[in-house]
Amino acid sequence: MNQSVLIREFMEKGRSESCPVIDMHAHLGPYQGIYFPNPSVEDMIRTMDRCGVRMSVSSSHAALIDTRENIKMADVVRKHPDRFRAYWVINPNYPERIGKEIEQFSKLDGFVGFKFLSDYHKYPLTSPRYEPALKYADERRLQVLMHTWGHSPFDSPTLVETLAGKYPNVVFLMGHSGYGEWEKSIQVAHDFPNVYLELTAAYAVNGVIDWMVKEAGSHKILFGTDLPWFDPHYGIGCVLFSRITDEERHNILHRNAEKLIEPYL
Amino acid sequence: MKFFDCNASFGTPMLRPVRFAETAQELLEEMDYHGISEALVYHARQRDDSPVVGNKILLNEIEGIERLHGTLAILPPQTDELEKLDTLMEKMRTKDVRAFWAFPSEHKYLMTRTALAPLYDLMVETNIPLFISVNQSCGGISGWYLIENILSGTPDLTLVVTEHGSWGHDRFFRPLIEKYDNLYLDVSRYELDGGIRDFCSRYGAKRLLFGTGFPAWNPGGPILTLAQADITTKECEMIASCNLEQILRKVKV
Repeated sequence: MNQSVLIREFMEKGRSESCPVIDMHAHLGPYQGIYFPNPSVEDMIRTMDRCGVRMSVSSSHAALIDTRENIKMADVVRKHPDRFRAYWVINPNYPERIGKEIEQFSKLDGFVGFKFLSDYHKYPLTSPRYEPALKYADERRLQVLMHTWGHSPFDSPTLVETLAGKYPNVVFLMGHSGYGEWEKSIQVAHDFPNVYLELTAAYAVNGVIDWMVKEAGSHKILFGTDLPWFDPHYGIGCVLFSRITDEERHNILHRNAEKLIEPYL
Repeated sequence: MKFFDCNASFGTPMLRPVRFAETAQELLEEMDYHGISEALVYHARQRDDSPVVGNKILLNEIEGIERLHGTLAILPPQTDELEKLDTLMEKMRTKDVRAFWAFPSEHKYLMTRTALAPLYDLMVETNIPLFISVNQSCGGISGWYLIENILSGTPDLTLVVTEHGSWGHDRFFRPLIEKYDNLYLDVSRYELDGGIRDFCSRYGAKRLLFGTGFPAWNPGGPILTLAQADITTKECEMIASCNLEQILRKVKV
């Protein structure tokens, strides 16, 4: 078996003191098409403890449907400041709410930026409806976690490329790394200093992490799980058993994220 | 802990995966890297080509390799492309093959008893397990509806459903697990947080089998998930290897 120190630690203990994982793509609560054994905040913290996940940056499932639920994530961060930060969901189906919501967002602590779910909300990332949030994020160097999927008319890596040049101060996290359109996603992350590949679901594709590290660099890759969807050990295992070095594993599993969330701690 | 992979493949697929093992030797090297002791395998040509071609390639390539256990891809008997059943059984005996795979999407046949009754009856009589991915389809039927369609016709069949996906299949498969005692699931894509523990607390560990889905999927995911699944060591060992070994031991070829 591979002789990585990190692999040995995680296989034996399920966690590593030297590698406190940061999950940059999490949620919270029940959702429509799936049974979750562990959907609550307390459940998630138990899972995070079991898997050595120090902190999760989450958007609540309820807010993906009704953005008035965003406010509840502020309570979660207030109650568990060492374990959670949050994204504020922007739903372009209700453009009349967005200005007021950004104002609300600006008065709250605990949020690192916005979450876009374009494939599900059915507006392309380049829609003018996202502009107020993107301009606001650009002025303040905030993070925007976007669901991205290969060849999607709503959130393909090509659309991310358009935004990355237009809003150079926004930190764009390509959720799922533009799943399936790997070559383009890796190119965009390589070409734009403000674009990161986020691994949720993408990690399962055999060989993709090695490819990302080789072409974009381990400093451009962030770990995520969609928790309470996916057992963090699944994604961690995929990172650990990829053909990369322990230093690169550290970058992906926590170091890159530490730099991004540091201003919000 | 011993890992016995129930769902691995080698060879050159028609659609190139990001990473793959072209030969049996390369697959063994992948298994060594991941700490996997044995694997039940098929060759990419068994799926992407005719089973008439692919089955022969597989048996030739794994001959003499004790860690790799062969499987045969099936076809409906009405076209006489594969051997007659008694000849097929003789071949399985001499080559120590103890499992079938079905790829109806690629090979275009129905999975009803109208098409496969003689094969299904043989499988039940000899306890030979049939493997199928839940992503397969035939004649307009796919997913868990196809799985239920197979099992409702032959409820005693030992059926192993692979790659049940990461997007929440428990609502689909739990009723089938409760109804059909010989239905098994591989855990290659059972990523659900707390899924394995929750499943075991309700149904026990007997119905889950360790699989990687190599080369499509990263074996590291199911390896660490199972190793740290918050279940007993005995349950973990059952899933990692014992359940599959028991299924294969029961085969009467």
